Amino acid sequence: MKAAVYWGCKIPTEQYAYEMSTRQVLPRFNIELVDLENVSCCGTPVRSVNTSAALYLSVRNLAIAGQTGLDNLLIPCNECHFMLSEARNRLDNDSEMQTKIQELLNEEGLEYPSNIKIWHTIDLLHDFVNIDTIRGKVRKPLEGLKFAVHPGCQIIRPSEIGRVDHPENPRKLDRLVEALGAQSIDYSEKLDCCGAALLYSHLDAALSLAGTKLRSVQTYGADGFVNTCPYCHTMYDARQKEAAATVGSKLTLSVVYYTQLLGHAIGIDHDKLGLHLNQSFDPERFTRRST
Amino acid sequence: MSLTDLMTMAKTDKELRKRIFTKLWRAHPDECFQCMRCTSGCTSLKLLELKPHEIVLLVNSGFIQELVSSDIIWTCASCLKCRERCPQNASPYNTILELRNLAVEREAKIPEAYMKAIAQILETGLTQPEQTATTRDMQPQNREKLGLPKLPYANDKFKTVFMKILGG
Repeated sequence: MKAAVYWGCKIPTEQYAYEMSTRQVLPRFNIELVDLENVSCCGTPVRSVNTSAALYLSVRNLAIAGQTGLDNLLIPCNECHFMLSEARNRLDNDSEMQTKIQELLNEEGLEYPSNIKIWHTIDLLHDFVNIDTIRGKVRKPLEGLKFAVHPGCQIIRPSEIGRVDHPENPRKLDRLVEALGAQSIDYSEKLDCCGAALLYSHLDAALSLAGTKLRSVQTYGADGFVNTCPYCHTMYDARQKEAAATVGSKLTLSVVYYTQLLGHAIGIDHDKLGLHLNQSFDPERFTRRST
Repeated sequence: MSLTDLMTMAKTDKELRKRIFTKLWRAHPDECFQCMRCTSGCTSLKLLELKPHEIVLLVNSGFIQELVSSDIIWTCASCLKCRERCPQNASPYNTILELRNLAVEREAKIPEAYMKAIAQILETGLTQPEQTATTRDMQPQNREKLGLPKLPYANDKFKTVFMKILGG
């Protein structure tokens, strides 16, 4: 498959590990990524200020992706995936709004496409590549390791616009982790939000949400924590120490992107996967049973 | 902060209520029957006392100005649980976004980080400039050192159109 890729803002300006590991891993499964020029923010922070301007940003990025003539668009960021899916749903069902936004797009000679298929990392790997193919490529099985998965909020809700997994019982990321030989634990805080959106206004509450979830996961004996969203990852990885201080606990969880975990299991060097950028990652604990 | 305290002197405003409703698409706060499923699962209930069903009730009653000047509308974590679980498609999430938009328009106190992100979008198209990453052993890294291609850059024409729509 040849797919356009829309990285958004958070990944390419800060969360380099997600970009590096995605670029490393997907070609191993015959997915060629095509970068987009001239793209902008998806509209996430803009929606609080002006929902119409946010909608315009989302549609504009869809239009740029459409210009490639490709049938598939990968959006690895949960927030961006939601914003663009929501915009697609609105424009396809609201012709008045479609005309209004198209007028703005005309100024740049862009056209709203209605058929490019939007993928996220999770469904691209789970539904398109599929579990058996992934299992077949594993060279360093993660046997004996237990992970807690965190699919995040925006890619599973709201189901009315078509999301990546079930809104209340998402299982795809669990199956992807299990395909690598590891165990994915069931835990009651799985759907709890990371709190990243509150960083804009309520830092302590945001850190408390992240810390509370990690504290639970740690008591369940998880060796690591797997996520697929640059916002969630920042909360659980780079801000893990702050979160720990906020909730008054010592937290020592290795937090990784799924693409990093997959890359490790299929034998890609850690540095190529950006694992040296994960602040919470403990290579010894992570690999003691799997290498 | 309890919103009911704010209500003691307040009068309803039907015009503002209408404005919120006009901006919403396929969200029907007026059909809310106060089952509180939204509030029972709200990410911001425990720590920040956000009660989405209360927000919806106040919007329906027309206490818009009070909501717009309250900090409570900025406590939503956008986790979308309320929108998923509402049996009436009231979508507290979208209702809160429109209240925030109105707050910005009326120049009520809004968190600075949002405006900072928008200023940056007008600069490069993205919400923040390229950040220096640090490895676990404290080595600074950037896209180039990590072997990543150059960042995309939104053209000037985009900025003109974006400014235009931001200005309404």
